[in-house]
Amino acid sequence: MRGRESPAEDALILFRSRICNPNFVFTPFSDSPDSNYSKLKFIISSSVTEACNNSILLLGPRGSGKTAVLELVIRDLLAEHADMISVIRLNGLLHSDDNCAVKEIARQLCVEHQLLFSKMASFDDNSQFMTAMLRECGLAHKTIIFVLDEFDFFTQARLPLSLMCVHTQKKAHVDWFLTFKFSDIGITSSLCSLQGKQRLLYSLLDAMQSVMSQAVVIGVSCRLDADQLLEKRVRSRFSHRKLLFLPPSKEDLQRLLEHILSLPVDTSLPNDYAVEFNTKLHHILADERFKEIINTLLNSDSTVKHLLRFLFYAVCHMDLESGFLSLDNFRTAMSSIQRQPKMEYLQDCSILELYILVCMKRLEVKEQNSYNFNSVMKEYKGIHDAYQTSDYYARSVCLRAFEHLVQRELICFMDNRGNNQSIEFRAVKLLISSHELYQGLKSYRSCPVSSFKSSV
Amino acid sequence: MPSIGAVRSESSGEIRSGSGSTPQKRRSISGGPISPPSPVKWKSPRRSVNGSPKTPSKEIEKDSDAKATRLHKSPMKKLSESFLDKSKWNPGDSKQMSAAKEALHVSTVPSTVVCREDEQNRIMDFCKACIEHEKAGSLYACGCPGTGKSLSMEKVRRALVDWAGQAGFQPPDLLSINCTSLTNTSEIFSKILEKQQPRKKTKSSTSPLQHLRNIYSKKQQSSGMKMMLIIADELDYLITRDRTVLHDLFMLTTLPFSSCILIGVSNAIDLADRFLPKLQSLNCKPMVVTFRAYSKDQILKILQQRLMALPSPVFQPQALELCARKVAAASGDMRKALSVCRSALEILEAELRESINSLSLSSEKGAFDQQTLPALDSLTNQEINIVRVDHMATALSKTFRSPIVDTIQSLPQHQQIILCSAVKLFRGGKKDTTVGELNKSYVDICKSVLVPPIGILELSSMCRVLSDQGLLKLGQAREDKLKRVTLKVDEADIAFALQGIRFFRNCLQ
Repeated sequence: MRGRESPAEDALILFRSRICNPNFVFTPFSDSPDSNYSKLKFIISSSVTEACNNSILLLGPRGSGKTAVLELVIRDLLAEHADMISVIRLNGLLHSDDNCAVKEIARQLCVEHQLLFSKMASFDDNSQFMTAMLRECGLAHKTIIFVLDEFDFFTQARLPLSLMCVHTQKKAHVDWFLTFKFSDIGITSSLCSLQGKQRLLYSLLDAMQSVMSQAVVIGVSCRLDADQLLEKRVRSRFSHRKLLFLPPSKEDLQRLLEHILSLPVDTSLPNDYAVEFNTKLHHILADERFKEIINTLLNSDSTVKHLLRFLFYAVCHMDLESGFLSLDNFRTAMSSIQRQPKMEYLQDCSILELYILVCMKRLEVKEQNSYNFNSVMKEYKGIHDAYQTSDYYARSVCLRAFEHLVQRELICFMDNRGNNQSIEFRAVKLLISSHELYQGLKSYRSCPVSSFKSSV
Repeated sequence: MPSIGAVRSESSGEIRSGSGSTPQKRRSISGGPISPPSPVKWKSPRRSVNGSPKTPSKEIEKDSDAKATRLHKSPMKKLSESFLDKSKWNPGDSKQMSAAKEALHVSTVPSTVVCREDEQNRIMDFCKACIEHEKAGSLYACGCPGTGKSLSMEKVRRALVDWAGQAGFQPPDLLSINCTSLTNTSEIFSKILEKQQPRKKTKSSTSPLQHLRNIYSKKQQSSGMKMMLIIADELDYLITRDRTVLHDLFMLTTLPFSSCILIGVSNAIDLADRFLPKLQSLNCKPMVVTFRAYSKDQILKILQQRLMALPSPVFQPQALELCARKVAAASGDMRKALSVCRSALEILEAELRESINSLSLSSEKGAFDQQTLPALDSLTNQEINIVRVDHMATALSKTFRSPIVDTIQSLPQHQQIILCSAVKLFRGGKKDTTVGELNKSYVDICKSVLVPPIGILELSSMCRVLSDQGLLKLGQAREDKLKRVTLKVDEADIAFALQGIRFFRNCLQ
């Protein structure tokens, strides 16, 4: 059994569990009336208590917290009205086929109400069961909440994941394909004419037009034009409410950072440690350099998920000896998120390899579309003559360096056909951009000036 | 016509929510009794049982006939009218608010369907003629979604049964099918057959269609022929590649001893012409009744009729007019108008809640906040609590505005630069490009504004994020650099969204 952990380790464990728990992360947004949480909660709870049907779409880029906020709302509503709500969850990637979807709905309804589900039930049986259950739940004042994840996949035609017989244009031969996405091959089965017509969405939304059923349909999607993808009769039955999940504003961001990274003062952690930690944290958060780091982070990806990943890295780099976070932790986290793998490869290259890359870039600049090892060698000799460098190696050494570069995938062959030719005659091309090359040379530990000059 | 639906009286409530007060009568699906959800007796807010465009319940009709006189009783008759000023609507009262919302809900069916009398009369006349002459016939009702087709069909159905009873004819059998619920298109024939001969077992060798043809080709034994009214909703689901099913369905009415009156409902206006050309040559084209999109006056009239059931005015008349005008200009879809009105109600509710919160906060502080009052001073006392034009305008903008401009404005900087570079590339008339080209353009723009550009790996993953959101379209290719990119958003939208930022403005010049 280990001895008592130091308070720093306790704090680290606390931070990690907080960052990985979406309920904790989104709770500070629940008290402001303007936030998406409050709006969503108001809509669903008023639908439940007033027993009227409603439908809503949650839109926003991936990782902006749509599912997290939805789960938070559902959890709170289940706590408030335990018996009046039952939740059915579908996912557009798994259940976009109508048969599948209705079967899954029937199965989940059975599980909710402790009935036996038969796998042999047909599509008709399942859909009749679904309508009957909707009616019964309406009579019993129970609202069914349908959560449709990846809503845009419900609106698109998908062929079932099965071997389909495909007749090609020529009709002379039959090809067997495993199709995973829809394509423009002509299909002769009449199955296709009914599929892809958004039957599930239509039947769900149509059921909500009657007083018999009590349901709320919540669609979650990352496509902004998800409702434009609906057929016009389905769109007419949809209630046009949309909640947009935008990245957090500056104040929200500040609140979020403080909420996650402040230590609670009245728990098992020693009081003075916690207070000192919080003071130091405040200094860091107010620092201009920290704000710059956060700005750079959010300039490439401003979703909450990205920010949480950054915080996780930073927290894991916390110095356990001192037990406090410092600005360096955040800087290290930043550099581990914004890795440039190819530039890291360049740091490990030898000088000769760098020369070869520079030669290839010069050939590209000279608009030579295809070049091979021999032309690179000519260019190399040209540089050597022009700049009088001391790094002139023999041809066999250069060839070895060339092969290294191919193995590291910094350059590659233009096509795979010339396997019979020797490596010197095959056309090659660069796999890194000139900007990356320039940056790599600039930060190289001991880059010879001549190669640097010649690359510009 | 008997007035159904808007009758909200205590006794009709008893039929359904009697279960609320006598819990032991309710049974769960598995057979055991359900205990009431909360100790407080919870009355179901749903009073009108038969408020659906497609309710099958027939027994409710008889009850509601007796209650036809109590048309205007509101659900608030419990609250004694003595201490409620009749002319003022109090939005703070949740019962009144939910009554107002229910009046505007799509599922509440009004007693009379206004603005569709013309079309209903035409359909009624057609059906009456068919029943009188004992001839089969077909009719095709078409119109945009939300124009009252299914609603009118229900009314016609009920009215037809009543008329047949009164006029001494045999009331027709009714078969109402929604074609989306059929797994196989030819299932419709088996359903018709089932209704025609409910107890007979068919020989498995003949298809239902063949069987129906046989029946309709032979003279019926009984003297008075019982007609069958078939209403097929969402008829375009029956369209197959070879169009046989639709064709056969309509041909059934042309057989010599056919007894079915077929009414097809769909959205496509030219379905009859496009998919049933052969019928024209046989001179038995179905009669076409077009349900035009609602005009502004019609929408206004319908909304006013719905709100008449409430005791006091809830909406400012200008607000209703604004809503009607906007919706009529956009699509003429009644569902949208109702949804916008309900949304405006909710905005009012939220506003009142916030003002109550802020008033209670400031009174807690001890200083009464005078700032909220002057803004409302200009309105009369009555007008504070009803839905005004500004609420309606907010609701309309929420419904009709696309989220694209907001999203583009809140994108991270690099993604905005990518969109800009795409716009610049496509200005010259090109419609698509590759990720490699996009990268070059992106790097150029970054250089001109001194922002360090990101590498191509990150660029292509950002392109994928943008395509997930529906702003770009990314093709498939073996290599990242060769994937084709097209813009899915209008250039003007991007320019509008980014006009606030100077460097984008200069960039997109």
